Amino acid sequence: MFFRFNAKDQAREVDQAGWGRTIWAAIISLIYFFPVLFIVITAFKEHTDALAVPVKLFPEFMAFMVPEDLTFKPTFHNFVDVFSRSFSAGAAVQDTGFDRFFFNSVYIAGFSVLLALLIGTLAAFGFSRYPLKGNDTYLFVILTTRMLPAIVVIIPVMLMFRVTGLSGTYTGIILLYTAFNLPFTIWMMKSFFDELSPDVEDAARIDGSSERRVFFKICLPQVLAGLAATAVFGLILTWNEFLFALLLTGVETRTVPVAMSQTIGGDIGVRWGLLAAIETLFLIPVILVTFFLQNQLLRGVTFGTVKR
Amino acid sequence: MQGSSQSDRPQTAVTLTGVSKQFGAVDALNDLSFEVSTGKFFVLFGPSSVGKTTTLRAIAGLEKIDAGKIEIDGQDVTEAPIRGRGVAMVFQSFALYPHLTVSQNFAYPLKEAGLPANEINQRVGETVEMLSLSHRTDNQPSTLSGGEQQRVALGRALIQRPNILLLDEPLTNLDAKLRHDMRAELKRLHRQFGMTIIYATPDELEALSMGEDIAVMKEGTVVQQGSPDDLYETPRNLYVAAKIGSPHMNLLDASISNAVDGLDTPFGELSTGRFGLSGGEDVVMGIRPSDIRLAQDSEPHVNMKVQLVEPLGDITIVSVDAAGANLRMVLSEAGALGVQPGHELPVVIPAESVHVFRKADGIAMPAGT
Repeated sequence: MFFRFNAKDQAREVDQAGWGRTIWAAIISLIYFFPVLFIVITAFKEHTDALAVPVKLFPEFMAFMVPEDLTFKPTFHNFVDVFSRSFSAGAAVQDTGFDRFFFNSVYIAGFSVLLALLIGTLAAFGFSRYPLKGNDTYLFVILTTRMLPAIVVIIPVMLMFRVTGLSGTYTGIILLYTAFNLPFTIWMMKSFFDELSPDVEDAARIDGSSERRVFFKICLPQVLAGLAATAVFGLILTWNEFLFALLLTGVETRTVPVAMSQTIGGDIGVRWGLLAAIETLFLIPVILVTFFLQNQLLRGVTFGTVKR
Repeated sequence: MQGSSQSDRPQTAVTLTGVSKQFGAVDALNDLSFEVSTGKFFVLFGPSSVGKTTTLRAIAGLEKIDAGKIEIDGQDVTEAPIRGRGVAMVFQSFALYPHLTVSQNFAYPLKEAGLPANEINQRVGETVEMLSLSHRTDNQPSTLSGGEQQRVALGRALIQRPNILLLDEPLTNLDAKLRHDMRAELKRLHRQFGMTIIYATPDELEALSMGEDIAVMKEGTVVQQGSPDDLYETPRNLYVAAKIGSPHMNLLDASISNAVDGLDTPFGELSTGRFGLSGGEDVVMGIRPSDIRLAQDSEPHVNMKVQLVEPLGDITIVSVDAAGANLRMVLSEAGALGVQPGHELPVVIPAESVHVFRKADGIAMPAGT
């Protein structure tokens, strides 16, 4: 159970796969990415362009390379409408409250992911280093809430919220999302802690570290990649969560997915461009977080696959 | 943690008395007792899973023992915390802090000890210099070679100037050449710093070449402790006899003779005395390959057929057939000249070099009648 470091793993040519495979990968990636691309493009379309068949995939300025009837005139109209617009023909322009909903989404998802990370990491360390009698049973119990479809779990949860008066409050939805992120966080982080060499911790103990410092100075820095990976996955799950938010948030605490669903409808039919604009804005925070944690994330996801 | 000169320290650095430790149903340590004199290069020798690592971990305080007493410098530390024992340890896995650079690895124990920054810097500088790692100070352990990682592990222990340095098979993960270099390096460091070293190894060559005092372990307890010469000359039982010495001691089934004052062996009677045993008793006879020689002139001898010749450069190991039993002997390069498998050699087994172990329990019998 000794680990050796392998310097050879460090440097690997980026283009080792060659052009042929890279192109294949690009094509497959494009297919994967197409739904997202479609939404982003739609966000810049006028209502009629959004509904046009054949689908207009290219903005006007690309007309020199594609048939003209496949192009549309880009507009920022939809993005403005996300935040303020008139709700029926001729009515006054109104604030939509979406700035509030975006804030809610960021606040609720961010807070609950951080809280889950904090509690979950400590719990995972406990499960990994100080196993209880019947450790696996506890780990299993923790996972059970994620074994049922949300639609089933929601019934007792709603009851609990009703009794405790947490319905419609930030505290309520944050606690719920935290509880929902915890199983995943604990299982992920436990596997990261399990991977660490116990000798390294013992070395720190002999070097004079208290248990607390062993955790903060030795263990935690080694699982930063794991923390990043867990945070991103948790964030994506929480960010996009719809059902619980729909039933357990109030007007004040509504998140974007719920608000978005309520945008569908109205007297002029579904405004696809507007919806796409909301979704596009909604994508940005997750993309930013993922982008900034990307290096850590890659290390985190591949952690433990290489015998050190 | 600060090393004071060894002269004003107690004679005995570490004492273990009746130490036992169980892991589940397994006895890791079983009534283990030994003493380590201050400033000695002490070796715990034995095959893997014999309790060497557990012993070191118990001395460091990483492992709570079930019974017995551990003393360091005359102080009972059985229940004492890890910190403050004045002990540093090098792990078989090196156990470097993977997220810290070489310098930071060195500085870590000093920071934990609360030393001022300038002293830390000075000592890190010295240590880096001493172990020729100056070009690697900002590297992370994963980018170092095995030998460099080993030096970092060693440096992180030495920088604390420990009174007692525990080394758990530190050379196992190195290649043969490095291992050889590091043996000399460790001896040099021991001379330079004069601290007590407790060195666990399953490698007999490491044990004999470095150890001033060697404890041979078997099943969680020490079966014999002594200098390399003691262990080689007077092994106390079959186990030690078989482990110490290269090539290994020849061990043959024999019995105490009823006819002569000696042994009945597969190749005839041998006048060795009866070792205080009565006639007919089964024993194991041991003879070092280097003690067996060729007969000169008309000296009484036994003719044995050569089975295998292994030239090792300056010496040659020759295996001969002794009435069904296999005997290995060591010949000089010149003495082995022309020896081929199938030849008959006139072999002399000097009676005074024969070790006798009681068959029943493997205990060595004192020479004599």
